[in-house]
Amino acid sequence: MKNKITSALSKELIISAIENIPMKQKLITAVSTIPFIAATTMSGSCATSCPYGMVNDPYPGQCPRYTDITGDGICDLSQATAAAATDTSSTSTDDTTTTTTDSGNGHGANADTTIQDQSADPNAATIPDSTVLDSGNLHLDTTNYYVLPVTIMLIGGYLFTHYLFNKGILKRNKHRRIWNLLVTAGYLGTGVTGILLTIMINLGIRTALNPSITYWHAEMAILMVIGTMIHIHLYWKPFKNMFRVLFGIKSNLKKKTKVKGHPSDVL
Amino acid sequence: MVYDIIMPALPFIGGYLFTYGLYRIDLIKKALHINIWNLIIGLTFLISAGAGFVLLLLMEFGVALPISPQLLYGHVELGISLVLVTVFHFHTYWKSSKTMFVQVKKRSKT
Repeated sequence: MKNKITSALSKELIISAIENIPMKQKLITAVSTIPFIAATTMSGSCATSCPYGMVNDPYPGQCPRYTDITGDGICDLSQATAAAATDTSSTSTDDTTTTTTDSGNGHGANADTTIQDQSADPNAATIPDSTVLDSGNLHLDTTNYYVLPVTIMLIGGYLFTHYLFNKGILKRNKHRRIWNLLVTAGYLGTGVTGILLTIMINLGIRTALNPSITYWHAEMAILMVIGTMIHIHLYWKPFKNMFRVLFGIKSNLKKKTKVKGHPSDVL
Repeated sequence: MVYDIIMPALPFIGGYLFTYGLYRIDLIKKALHINIWNLIIGLTFLISAGAGFVLLLLMEFGVALPISPQLLYGHVELGISLVLVTVFHFHTYWKSSKTMFVQVKKRSKT
């Protein structure tokens, strides 16, 4: 039996078997393993760490995901790895653990309750730490922003109105107006939510609305990005002209020629 | 970390007032003033939106790079500038911006 297995697993047999597999199949197999490799390597790294890779981010935090359940004035997500390292070292030597809970705005200075847990059993100290980490705001990391569906929907919409415009059903002005309104809505939405988030982060304001503002900031940003690309396509001639005016050989000093009409028509 | 709101906005306000002033006193063409600010809005958009898009992708894939905090900071600061430059863009194209919301009255042939 042992001989059979060793002969089956012999180096020459494996090499010849691999060589017999067609190149296309090899490629497909290699590509199909990528998601599994990615999943196994990522799941551990993003479970309790800062999605932006920040380390010891102090109050009020650099992003709307700031979470401070431990109440030390540093975002729990940014210190997850450091906390885990110190915890493992402390459990082996120290019998006393301290758990601090902050039910207010997450500011370390406003810590509401401090529970001192004195235990004779050194193994008991390892239990509460896991519960503290689990109760964090980690569900935010799984937010789906629907980047691809929204993008496909917008591009599809543009292709449709462009088709109507080409067929003469939709007037040029109306076609432009629709997409100018949409891009304005995108800029307005992204700008307002972005400024709101910045002010909230700067002032340390944490409300239940924060995750939804972040969500709409991302959604409006998709509309803004796709809308800007469409805007450039709609005003392609003025866009090309911009480079000619700015980087062209033509002198840009004011001569006695007046530009008449609307800037978008000339530029 | 606290984000600066006034500091990234000041050079843009100063720059716009400067080129607008030059255009008003007939030192530069209107086309140049407009195109400078079209290029600035394009570049600001490209960097701010590009950084935002990279951050979104990194977050979706659960990857945290060492430059991610700096990328987030740059995204926010340039985003503030982008808001301001967008206001300037509306100011530059004010006439056509108005027609976007209000129907243009057609002159009756008499």
